[in-house]
Amino acid sequence: MKNILKTIFVLILGTMSACDNWLDIEPEYTQDAENFFNTKEDFDRAIIGVYNLMQPAYLNIWIGEIASDNSIAGGESVTDTRGLHEIDNMTHGAVNEELRWVMRVNYTGIARANYIFENQDNLDFQGKNVILAEAKMLRAYFYFNLVKYFGDMPLIVGRRLSINEIIQSQRTPKAEIYAQIESDLRAAMEVLPWTAPEAGRLTRGAAMALLGQALLYQNKFGEAATVLGNLIDNNQAGYGLFADFKTLFYVVNQNVNEDVFTIQFSGLQGGDYGCLVCLQGNAAVGFHGIRQYNGPLYADGNSYNLPTQDLYDYFDPQDIRRDATVLDIDAFIAKQPNASEITYAIGGGGHTGFYNNKYIKRLDERGLPDDDLTSPLNYRVIRYADVLLMAAEAFQRSGNDGRARTELNKVRARVDMPAIQSSGEQLYNDILRERRLELSGEGYRFWDLVRTNRAAGAIEGFVTGKHELFPIPQVEIDLAGGNWQQNPGY
Amino acid sequence: MIKRFLLLLMVLAWGNALLAQGSVIKGVVTDDEGSPLIGVTVMKMNTTTGTITDLSGSFSISASIGDVLQFSFIGYKTQLYTVGTATEVEINLEADITSLGEVVVIGYGTATKRELTGATAQVKGESLDAMNMPRVDQALQGRMAGVNISTNSGAPGGTANIRIRGIGTSGANDPLILVDGVIYDAAGLNALNPNDIESVTVLKDGTAGIYGVRAANGVILIETKKGAKGVKPRLEFNTFYGTQRTARKLDMLNAREYAILKNEAFAAGGQPRPFNNTNLGEGTNWQDAVFQDAPIQEYNLNMTGGSEKTSYSIGGSYFAQQGIVGGPKANFERYNARINFVTELAPKLTLTNVMLYTHERSKTLPQGSIGSVLYNTINAYPTEPIRVGDRFSYLDEVNDIINPIAQMENTFNEAFVNKLVGKEEISYKVNQHLSFTGLAGYNFALVDFKGFNPLVWYGPGKFANSARNANLDPVMVDVGGISIERGASVYEERNTFLDYNLEAFGNYDRIFNQLHRVKGMVGVSLVGNRSTGLNGIGFNIPNNDINFADISANQAPGGFLNNAGSFQNRQRLISAFARAEYDYDGRYIFSAILRRDGSSNFGPNNRIGYFPAVSGAWLISEESFFNVAAIDFLKLRASYGISGNDRIGLFRYRGLLNGSARYVFNDLIVNGAAIGNTSNPDLQWETTVQTNFGLDFTLFRAIDFTANYFIKTTKDLLFQPDVSALLGSYGPGGSPPVINAGNVMNRGLELEMGYSTRKKSGVNFRVDYNVTFLKNEVTRVPEGFEFIPGAPFSVGGNVATRFEKGFPIGYFVGLQTDGIFQTAEEIAAHSVIQSGAQPGDLRFVDQNGDGIINFGDDSDRTMIGSPIPTAIMGLNFAVDFKGFDFSANVYAALGQDIIRNYERQQPFANQLSYNIDRWTGPGTSNRVPRLTTGATRNNVFSDFYVEDGSFARLRNVQLGYTIPKALTERIGVGFFRVYVAANNLVTLTRYQGFDPDVGAANPLFAGVDNGIYPQAISIMGGVNIRF
Repeated sequence: MKNILKTIFVLILGTMSACDNWLDIEPEYTQDAENFFNTKEDFDRAIIGVYNLMQPAYLNIWIGEIASDNSIAGGESVTDTRGLHEIDNMTHGAVNEELRWVMRVNYTGIARANYIFENQDNLDFQGKNVILAEAKMLRAYFYFNLVKYFGDMPLIVGRRLSINEIIQSQRTPKAEIYAQIESDLRAAMEVLPWTAPEAGRLTRGAAMALLGQALLYQNKFGEAATVLGNLIDNNQAGYGLFADFKTLFYVVNQNVNEDVFTIQFSGLQGGDYGCLVCLQGNAAVGFHGIRQYNGPLYADGNSYNLPTQDLYDYFDPQDIRRDATVLDIDAFIAKQPNASEITYAIGGGGHTGFYNNKYIKRLDERGLPDDDLTSPLNYRVIRYADVLLMAAEAFQRSGNDGRARTELNKVRARVDMPAIQSSGEQLYNDILRERRLELSGEGYRFWDLVRTNRAAGAIEGFVTGKHELFPIPQVEIDLAGGNWQQNPGY
Repeated sequence: MIKRFLLLLMVLAWGNALLAQGSVIKGVVTDDEGSPLIGVTVMKMNTTTGTITDLSGSFSISASIGDVLQFSFIGYKTQLYTVGTATEVEINLEADITSLGEVVVIGYGTATKRELTGATAQVKGESLDAMNMPRVDQALQGRMAGVNISTNSGAPGGTANIRIRGIGTSGANDPLILVDGVIYDAAGLNALNPNDIESVTVLKDGTAGIYGVRAANGVILIETKKGAKGVKPRLEFNTFYGTQRTARKLDMLNAREYAILKNEAFAAGGQPRPFNNTNLGEGTNWQDAVFQDAPIQEYNLNMTGGSEKTSYSIGGSYFAQQGIVGGPKANFERYNARINFVTELAPKLTLTNVMLYTHERSKTLPQGSIGSVLYNTINAYPTEPIRVGDRFSYLDEVNDIINPIAQMENTFNEAFVNKLVGKEEISYKVNQHLSFTGLAGYNFALVDFKGFNPLVWYGPGKFANSARNANLDPVMVDVGGISIERGASVYEERNTFLDYNLEAFGNYDRIFNQLHRVKGMVGVSLVGNRSTGLNGIGFNIPNNDINFADISANQAPGGFLNNAGSFQNRQRLISAFARAEYDYDGRYIFSAILRRDGSSNFGPNNRIGYFPAVSGAWLISEESFFNVAAIDFLKLRASYGISGNDRIGLFRYRGLLNGSARYVFNDLIVNGAAIGNTSNPDLQWETTVQTNFGLDFTLFRAIDFTANYFIKTTKDLLFQPDVSALLGSYGPGGSPPVINAGNVMNRGLELEMGYSTRKKSGVNFRVDYNVTFLKNEVTRVPEGFEFIPGAPFSVGGNVATRFEKGFPIGYFVGLQTDGIFQTAEEIAAHSVIQSGAQPGDLRFVDQNGDGIINFGDDSDRTMIGSPIPTAIMGLNFAVDFKGFDFSANVYAALGQDIIRNYERQQPFANQLSYNIDRWTGPGTSNRVPRLTTGATRNNVFSDFYVEDGSFARLRNVQLGYTIPKALTERIGVGFFRVYVAANNLVTLTRYQGFDPDVGAANPLFAGVDNGIYPQAISIMGGVNIRF
């Protein structure tokens, strides 16, 4: 009997094996990742996926300000986004969600760009060189972020890493990453057009500005002066300074001639707090909003990234940039006709009386369908005023004070501030001072302090030799096999 | 029993063919109520002569004086009768109240309890429908050892989690559920009326492996009611009506206490005191406004019976329940219709038809999360009235907490489910040894949902506002340069789900030489699943009015705002399986199972799996040397088996371009392509290896006892652990690859005891008790990281639960407290530096002993609780006497903890009254910290927020009276019972929240109470009538 059963079972098994192709079902209406890049449209779609990873810019806006003397973390409580509070207090360690997201989004952007390079030889078509140039510039942007935050980081180019290769990865010296950034940007510069075929596309000007910035961060002042000077002199995109600084950061004044390198946002797509990196809106804006505010012009938000008294006092009271950069909420309310009816609340995460007035939620700039997370307000990575100030710095450092003053005073003239006549070290200080006045609230203060070795004097708790770099998230070290050396001091 | 069974088989085979000898004895066999028993085996002892009783319970057999006749029937005690001079006899069989003879479904076959080699638990339908629970899983709570039921929500239509023998995976833990052999998912159990259930059987150990790659979480086999052949039609009507109310309201601060405590907190924070006058009385009791009494009702009509060739069971029912929060806004209604019939198409050929139709309607309120109605109710402050003038109050002082009454008013949604479940099964009985069965099963559900989001204004700055202002002016949005009003919107979806299975199997059963019994079963099965969905949202519904809430009525210009989506999924499973059993003389039983499964959820590398199981039993009491009078039955069992879990989502083995790739060009969102899930072509099923040792015995023919000890190890857990950022898996819509890593071990001891008696005095008494002790431990986590994070604490707070090696799944991790700093001197003298500490603050324990409390990393965080009970138990008790019956069911879960996560950390949020006992100066409290609006670490997750969640609950208590038959028969009613019952009448617990039964489908979120919708106390009255 047993034998008969066995025979039956073997027979069934045989039949079954033949039937196993019943299991060969394909997912419907979606494409397989390993069978892509067959048409021009596939490349067009893939590059959008790379652009996408610039949208978590809120991390840069927050950390670049909160780590510096410009602002405090704020929020509902001191445990609300704990990572930012630790960075604010210079007590951050290797367990920090925000730093982890910095690493994740930038490497995802890199992987998505490399996915294109991996398949670039599949097909030739008109315009492929532009897509590859865009991919190179985006990859350079992501690596530049990584090298600023973490210093040496694994350099992956040409293809995606497979899961089994992760544990062999090593940190690549910073200089090699910068070399890749420079070569990617120089290659992109050659191909990208001066003017974008549609608002939001990367341009030659954007690549040149980013290259100038990357050179400046390496103290390659001569080369930076050449690139930035060339951008200013050979200004085929018609870049200039927008006349009204006070409304420069309003939605209506987006994509103006001051925009050189901008990350585009939309108010059309909702989102949730669980995935800030998924948003098509600018997450920083709603978070910067005034807590439970009920009054004119502004809309309520989460009271993050609150400017300090120190920043407010840094401005000459005559400088219109003070109120355009820092919102003194009580003074603003007092000026309103119905002041007594206007209310707002103080968050448990800290209160300075000031709000970031550049990237802030305004009543008529809210997005659909939830206005906390879907702000349409673009983030300006590099605007023309920054190009001029970077050029001024590069020229000054490479010995051309005259040209430096020229570029610097263009920026001051726009806001009716008297021209600077200084030279030498005083001029250098004036340029750096101008950077804070012009660019505060935009996420650059911390990096400016670090790269000019002035952080220890400005930031309470800053330890020289340690805090210039952020720690690599411990979990990322562990996930990569545990053989990366942590940054010094952490 | 086995011997009896052998005899029965022989009788079936040869009984009718035997020639009569001696004189003919005629008689009738009846049960204790005097009803005829059909199919009773009548054997002449020590011969092969026998017969069975016919439709009227009659038999005739030829016998001589002195012969002994044996009458045996499943479920009744065997009786012997010595033939005397009488030729007409009446035999009255006594019901066998021990359950050894009960037939248990074991997957593609049946066995009696006596023969079982695996760990199996069974509950009869009667005892479930007597509970008056809307869902069968709720009725199962506390009924079976090793089966833990926790509740996700007490709201009407709310779901529960069934966890058999612990939590084996961080992924899908639902058991495989088969209703009459048709696949059912746990969430869909709402569609099943407990009244329609004949029995629920749970396969707990390795023998569940007959279901292979889907058996790792255990298997639940539900049989619906069937008729019996040759039985007169019986009409049955059951109904109950009741009212429900909340078992508990939280003890919150009233207005006066609130004002005093807030003044103190603000002063401590260096801010102006908000209340000049604290004499504010009681203020608003938001809970009184939110909770209400709500009705619950059910009507059932069933007819069962059978002719000579056909049996049937036909039924219809209506069930309706409103919510104790929201009333009709949290509503569940169910209509059921059912036809089961079994008919003999031709000799030896039987058709079984099962068909269940369900129509469900439900409405839900936001529940169980931050921002739910109850969460808002708890945090709304008592100094605010519910209404101001003709509008709802705004609760201006708190951020994002909205008026819960306004929230309920503005919630509009309804879900409709139309579900058809059934099977057609044909079985061919070749002879008494061999039969073949083929079946086609289907479970089709059409699920419609509509939700209306009107323009609402909850007050300035509220996250939930959809309008721009109190006039309900719509927000204007800029779409491609055009300014468009964003008005009220409606969301609609229609999803269809089809599960189907085609199976064929053969069963063989034969006894050789009266000693060797061989059973065999082989079969094949194809299981498939198909689901599709279409959904859309339409904006600018006219007049902000629910009456126009349909996508077709949208007025959005150019349709710019409207949106649509769809999905479609497929999944397939192909299987072959076999079971062989050998039974020697009813003393030694061996069983072996092998199943081969192929699942479309895995890549070609790992698509096919083999799942073996072996089990055996030794019936010691059948041995000739066994001679203990008190013990009627004694059996030892052991089993070992391997089963799998393939529920990991579809196509996770391959990389698909289903990531999100969106950017903005020319102010419009453009869609691109990006990889979503990172692929892992080597992905394979989770494997569960389970060893079980069991012991069954019966004492004095009255007390059944079962003990099981099991070790259940789940290996190669399907996991989606964090991967290195370098892999690029963390873009929008992206996710890390699913890999096989991590082990979990569940060990446990289950004890079940049952005692029942029927006294001559007319008192019938039954009590059973079961208890399960369980230890859950993660024994391996994926390489390269320490733990998988789970649920967050508070808003934007730390992860409070984890999956970590050496700890139970979902254990709570946080700071341990050690009282409260009483004075500044104490802080100064304290050997551990706790930065920012002030008198009145919680004193944390320095776990790593470095002399400092590290808030910035995990070094001082430790295990401060576990959501998994160390013991669960159920006590079920019933007694009846002279028409009166009384029953009670108690369930208890002990040793689990709950995170109190419904307190919003905002200066003006209301608080629980335990804060009255706060620290206010040296010596005032060593438990509740000071109140302050200033910076404090007291709200960092610590054991201060963890409470003992142990509870014992009287699930059901019932008192009924059956009107004597003599009276009811006059009006043509055979049985008439009235009863009063209460569910959840008493809950004993020290937990402060609404309900200690806090479940979560995801084991990493278990025991986190965001203000759970509590289970109601229901008081019901009902009637059972049979014609």
